[in-house]
Amino acid sequence: MKPLRPTLRDSFRYVAFTLNSEEPVRARDLQAEIFDAAKSLFGDVGVSKLGIKFVMFDGTKGLVRCRYQHVSELQATLASIGKIENNRVGVTVVGTSGTIKAAIEKYLQIDEKIRRIISSYVTVPVSGKAVRMRGKEIDIIPEDREIVDRADVRFIGITIDDNERLI
Amino acid sequence: MMPNYVDISVHAFPEGADTPKRLNLVARSLGFTAIGLTAHSPYWSEFSDSNAISGIEIVAHSVRDLRKKIAFFSDTVAVISVHGGDEQINRAACTDDRVDLLMHPERGKRGGLNQVTAKIAEKNGVALGLSFGYFWKTGQVARSRMLAFQHQNVVLCQKFGVPIVITSDAYSHFDLRAPRQLKALARLLPLEDTEATAALSSVPRNIIKRSAQKEEERA
Repeated sequence: MKPLRPTLRDSFRYVAFTLNSEEPVRARDLQAEIFDAAKSLFGDVGVSKLGIKFVMFDGTKGLVRCRYQHVSELQATLASIGKIENNRVGVTVVGTSGTIKAAIEKYLQIDEKIRRIISSYVTVPVSGKAVRMRGKEIDIIPEDREIVDRADVRFIGITIDDNERLI
Repeated sequence: MMPNYVDISVHAFPEGADTPKRLNLVARSLGFTAIGLTAHSPYWSEFSDSNAISGIEIVAHSVRDLRKKIAFFSDTVAVISVHGGDEQINRAACTDDRVDLLMHPERGKRGGLNQVTAKIAEKNGVALGLSFGYFWKTGQVARSRMLAFQHQNVVLCQKFGVPIVITSDAYSHFDLRAPRQLKALARLLPLEDTEATAALSSVPRNIIKRSAQKEEERA
């Protein structure tokens, strides 16, 4: 089949995002979740107009494509993702671009802070076991589950400044 | 120039799962310049953190209880918000000029606001707090219901000139969203881009300014 002329093709935008999750997320699961979220927010007709295409995802950052008139709807869709397979996540939009190349060069050259596994018993601000650390951020599995159940997460999040003994 | 974005209602440890410092760190990386820590009144405790705004979200079981708690907290914290939902509580919160924010009045059986409460709220400078947490916390049925109620309240507030504030109502850093994403969600309600920007920057800033003025007057 003859390809469409450039003037007849749709114009797209590429939305770059970063993903923050409790446990590692597979690209396939994230893709399914984005389509689910879009469908639950806008319905079948709405999704067909958005023209969503999942471009890439490497574990922490990725790209999604949509028609240029509907960037705001795609941002809303990404904001409405809260959980993937019982695993709390937060998707943050970093920027929008007209080509994949520009999106990667402009927004996805992020120095990733490596997540280190640690193991140390803490009592401040809550008694439990500090299990991992990324940059200044430390996650604790608490003994008392009341707070984490209320917030629907697995870890109590603190920073190095909250507990100087951990440095 | 980028406006100074503020997320004025988040719940930190020990109510939520993250300490104020952790929430501040994540919020800044998302593009906020400040966060307001408004613990629900049963979890409230005094703290000192120069990077966060101290606040309270008063939970009251009756109008009398609400008035008592407002009187107690109005001298101690900067931002006084009221946990809305019950129609009588919503109305009582709107009639008190010491209240800065009425959070999620739509959590009751109906929208929670009407033309009478909207007019009183405008007179007393009480802002409507739109909590967007339900977008990623609730199922489809509850979400469409809340969206419909918020839609109705936003139209009322626009008509009567009640200021609107957008917050994530976060219990952990997973609940925080970047300002541009909150604005994209606000567009699903009938909020224009400029209105949504104001609801995330100038309106919460005015609330903080107002409380600082009140404190000066007391001193």
